[in-house]
Amino acid sequence: MHASTHVDEILEVVVWKTTELLDAKGAIFRILNLKTEQLELYAAHGLGKKYLEKGPVSSYRIITELCRQNEVITIDDIMGDPRVQYPQEAWEEGVRMILDIPLSLGNHVVGILRVYFSEHREISKDKKDFMVAVAQQCSCAIDKARLIEEQQSLYDKLVLHTAKMSAIGRMAAGIAHEINNLLAGILLYSSNMIKKVPEDGPLKEGLDIIVHETIRCRGIIQELLDFSREREPKKTLANINDIIGKALNILENEFRIDHITVETDLSEEMVSSFLDENQMEQVFVNLLINAVEAMDEGGHIRIKTRLGSEEKCIKIEFEDTGCGLPKEALDRIFEPFFTTKAKGTGLGLAVSYGIVQNHMGDIRAYSEPGKGASFIVEIPMIQQPSSEETKGFENGAP
Amino acid sequence: MEPLKILVIDDEQVICSGCRMILSELGHTIDTCNTCKEGLDAIRKLDYHLVLLDIKLPDSDGMEILKIVQVEKSEIHIIVMTGYATIRSVVSAMRLGAFDYLPKPFTDEELIASVEKAMKNVGGSGKVQ
Repeated sequence: MHASTHVDEILEVVVWKTTELLDAKGAIFRILNLKTEQLELYAAHGLGKKYLEKGPVSSYRIITELCRQNEVITIDDIMGDPRVQYPQEAWEEGVRMILDIPLSLGNHVVGILRVYFSEHREISKDKKDFMVAVAQQCSCAIDKARLIEEQQSLYDKLVLHTAKMSAIGRMAAGIAHEINNLLAGILLYSSNMIKKVPEDGPLKEGLDIIVHETIRCRGIIQELLDFSREREPKKTLANINDIIGKALNILENEFRIDHITVETDLSEEMVSSFLDENQMEQVFVNLLINAVEAMDEGGHIRIKTRLGSEEKCIKIEFEDTGCGLPKEALDRIFEPFFTTKAKGTGLGLAVSYGIVQNHMGDIRAYSEPGKGASFIVEIPMIQQPSSEETKGFENGAP
Repeated sequence: MEPLKILVIDDEQVICSGCRMILSELGHTIDTCNTCKEGLDAIRKLDYHLVLLDIKLPDSDGMEILKIVQVEKSEIHIIVMTGYATIRSVVSAMRLGAFDYLPKPFTDEELIASVEKAMKNVGGSGKVQ
C-alpha cells in the first residue's frame, strides 16, 4: 500500500478487496479535500452510477463525529438513520446495511470507507478490527501521497522561479553591457566639455545635468549587474550579528523620525562565517528601508538570527508591522524594476536577491495585506574559505 | 614628462574619438582602431607606450591581444576598458599583464588619471605584475 504514491490506485484496490472479503455489495472511499473541506469520491466498487452521482453519502459533521469516536459503525436502518444522506436512493440501489469505517490521522479527519450490504448480517469483531487496520494504512498512504504532491508543487514553483530570475539576470547583464558602452561616450564627452565652457552660463548648467544624470545611470546599471550575479562577493570572516548592528546604526535616524521600535533577538551562539560583509549589509539595509517605508509612524520591526540545524546555515528573519503585500506583488517582489512604492526603482530587493544567491543562500518573503511582512534570509555557514577566495588579488586589482 | 604614443582599440568609434580628443589635448599622440586584427597589426608595426583596450571586440576577445602583447612586446602598458566589469574578468586581465582597468562609463578625469599613472610607470620601475 505504501509503495504506490498514486492514492487513487491504492483506494481502488482497497474498495474492490474489501467488497470481496466482506462479501458485500460494494464499497466507496470519500476523502476530505483540504481546500474545499468537501468529502470527495475517490474510489467506488459495486455501486450504480446513479447513486454515486447523487453527492456526499454523509455530512461532514457526521463523519467528523465518526472519526472522533474512531470505531466502526453499523447502520441497519437505512431509511431512518441520519447518517445516510440519500436513504431513498440507497434503498433503491438495494442497500440494506452499511458499515462506516473512519479514516483519521491523529486528530485529523482524512475521510471515510463505507461498505454496502444487500442484506442484514452480523460482522465479526475480527473482520471489523481488520477493516480498521486497513483504514489506518490507507490514511497513512493518503497522507504520504499528499506530502509528496505538496513537495512536488513547491519544487515546480521553485524551478520556475529560478529559471525566470536567471533569464532576467542574463537579460540585465546584456543590457548593462550595451548601455555602458553608450554611456561611456556620453560621459567622456560631457565631462570634458564642462571644462571648456564658460563657468557661468546655460551650457555649463546643461552639461552638469548630463554628467550628473549619466553617473546616476551608471549607478543603476551597477545595481542591475549586482542583481544578475555579476559582482562576486568578496568574502571575509564576519559575524552576521555585527553586520545587523551596523545596518541598524545606518538607519537609526529613520527609526527615530518615524517612531519605529526595533526589537532584536540575535543568537548568542552565532559564530563568524565567510561572507561579503558590505553586500550583506546592503541586503539588511534594503530590507530595513522597505520595512520603514511600509509602516506608518509607530511601527515595530523584529530581527532574529539563528543557527540552522547542525550549524550548517545562518537564518536571519525580519518582521514588520507594515501594510503588507498582496499575493500578486509577493510573486514578483524580487524582479528588477518591480516596485509598489511611488518613488522606488524596484532594484533594492532584486539586488538583495542577487547578493543572497551569490552567497549560495536563499531569500523568501511572506506577507498578507494589512498583516505586515516577513523576510527570511538563509545563507550557508562557511568557516573555511573556498579555493576561489584564497586566490585573492595578488595582481593588485583596483 | 614625455608625451606618450597611445593606441585606442574599441569597436565604439565614439569612445575612440572621445579618448583621442581628451588625450591629444594633453600632448599625447593617439591612433585608434575598431577591431582586434587592426589593433594587433598596429601594435606590431609601431612602437606604442600605451594601449587602451576594450576586452570585448567584434572579431576576437581583447584578452587575446593581452596575451600576445605580453609575449611579443611586454614593455607596452595596457589599460583595459569594459562595460561588463566582473571581478573575475578584472583579475584575469591583471593576471595577463594589464596595467590598469577602467570600467565603462568613465569620466575624462578618470581616463586622465589612469593614463598619468601609466606615464609615471613608463621608463620607471616597469609594469606592475
